[in-house]
Amino acid sequence: MNWLPMLLDATESTAANYFPIGIQIIFAVGFVAFMIALSAWVGPKRKTSDKLESFTSGISTHGDARHPMAIKYFLVAILFVLFDVEVIFFYPYAVNFKSLGWGGFEAVLLFVAFFLVGFFYIIKKGALTWED
Amino acid sequence: MNAIILSALLGVVMMFASVFTENKIAIRNIAIFGLLILLASNLLNIYTPYSFNVDLHNMLRFDSFGLFFNSIAIVSTLLYVILSGSDIVKVGNYPAEYFALIFFVLCGVTILSSYNSLLMLFLGVEIMSIPLYILTGSDKKNLKSNEASLKYFLMGAFSTGIMLMGIALLYGASGNFNLEMIREKTSIAEFGILAPLGLLLIFISLAFKVSAAPFHFWTPDVYDGAPSVFTSFMATIVKTAGFIAFVKLFSLRMADLGPSYAIILPVIIIATLLVGNITAVFQQSVKRMLAYSSIAQAGFMLFALYTSNDLSTEGILLYAAAYSIATIGIFGILIKMKDYTFDGYNGLAKKQPLVAATNTVFLLSLAGIPLTAGFFAKYYMLASALKSNGSALWLVIVAVLFAAVSVYYYFRVIQAMYFKDGDAETTEIDGTFKFVLVVLALLIILIGINPSILLRWYYF
Repeated sequence: MNWLPMLLDATESTAANYFPIGIQIIFAVGFVAFMIALSAWVGPKRKTSDKLESFTSGISTHGDARHPMAIKYFLVAILFVLFDVEVIFFYPYAVNFKSLGWGGFEAVLLFVAFFLVGFFYIIKKGALTWED
Repeated sequence: MNAIILSALLGVVMMFASVFTENKIAIRNIAIFGLLILLASNLLNIYTPYSFNVDLHNMLRFDSFGLFFNSIAIVSTLLYVILSGSDIVKVGNYPAEYFALIFFVLCGVTILSSYNSLLMLFLGVEIMSIPLYILTGSDKKNLKSNEASLKYFLMGAFSTGIMLMGIALLYGASGNFNLEMIREKTSIAEFGILAPLGLLLIFISLAFKVSAAPFHFWTPDVYDGAPSVFTSFMATIVKTAGFIAFVKLFSLRMADLGPSYAIILPVIIIATLLVGNITAVFQQSVKRMLAYSSIAQAGFMLFALYTSNDLSTEGILLYAAAYSIATIGIFGILIKMKDYTFDGYNGLAKKQPLVAATNTVFLLSLAGIPLTAGFFAKYYMLASALKSNGSALWLVIVAVLFAAVSVYYYFRVIQAMYFKDGDAETTEIDGTFKFVLVVLALLIILIGINPSILLRWYYF
């Protein structure tokens, strides 16, 4: 049992210190491989061609990925992501609501103001008008 | 602080200018008015106590060096917009947005001139670069413009990644983003390779931004592909801002941290001078020649990093002003030419004597001929090298030899304008344009006769 104190003593930086990490890697890889093999061996199997298709919300795929699309889809998608992600900033603010006090409130108001200015701009520029 | 806040707000104002008016001349005038306000606010910040008071947590530090550079950058932009504003609105369908992006770039420039924390360095570089990627690709129907934009974006993204890695390593070594604290807390003996490696990565990334060899490969393609008006902006204000950030990083004697910059910098300086000057000789297009010449000029500005003394801080400010004014003038004239090759300039002196004369002054200044601002800019750089280190004499001699090479390709334009017969075709040139050209040329000659005209504002 002379390897146990070695595990606990991390001050020395020798190759032997990585021994526990090696054990863990072997265990992790072995466990995953074992579970996959086990489920393949024990589990039920029903092979159909539908299962080999990529899953697209229940709609059957058509064409390939190079299919030309109207630029409007990308514009709406990008704008959605932009505003969606900005909402994430409210979560840390909500958690720290009390400790940040009025200073934090002013900062968030400024953030929302810029946010709305941007929104007003894209509306005015007609980025969201679908019909030409 | 004034300039940082106001430039961002003015960018938003320009965005909304497009919502309320379609008039291109009105939009240009709003931009000029905005730049005047920006200049006034920056001057207030320097010479009076009137400035926004924000708790900065020591992330930005406003000293006379950075604030004075802000003035240079804003005045250069103002001259640029007055000179080429009518060409900016012609690039595409979004004239107000171009000015908005220029204001956002200025916001990045003003952050870069006053950062005191590596985070602000990163933010400044990004705020400065991202609008430029858009401006490069603003000529949407032009394949070369699109290519340049994509190239610039991808290369810029990689260089930013390298910078972030460097910042992370420096943070790992010191536990701090603050420049002085990093300087204090890191010593090579204690942290081994971490801090020098981090500094080297930031060095590489900034060398990319100022297009120093061997990180210059994007420059000719991007400068050539971008609409000429925006090339003018990129080659002047943005490039000098990159150098200011570079000098600020090295002025804290950060270089002592790293691998021997006394060896790395001369190699990079000579490589930059060599690549810029020798390749510029073989160009057929004046625009592409100017792209290489901007690499060559970067070689001279790199001397400010090599030396880091009071002469070099004065010198880099003088260089920024001299180089920006001359290049803005040359590009202003280039935009008016129908043919960008050297032959396109044939016989310009007969058709437009005033334009040809001012163009000659700008070219002489870039070549560093005495009585122009470019001479004193180069003089300060080389003098600072000799002052700091006697063994730098060989480097100075090499630089002077390359300056002599540069005379060849600058004078080719002068030769074409004055001594060759031809029919130089230009688009229409109005009185305002000529007036601003004369103002630019006068500025160059005035600074060339007495550089303290400019520098006395530095020591207020």
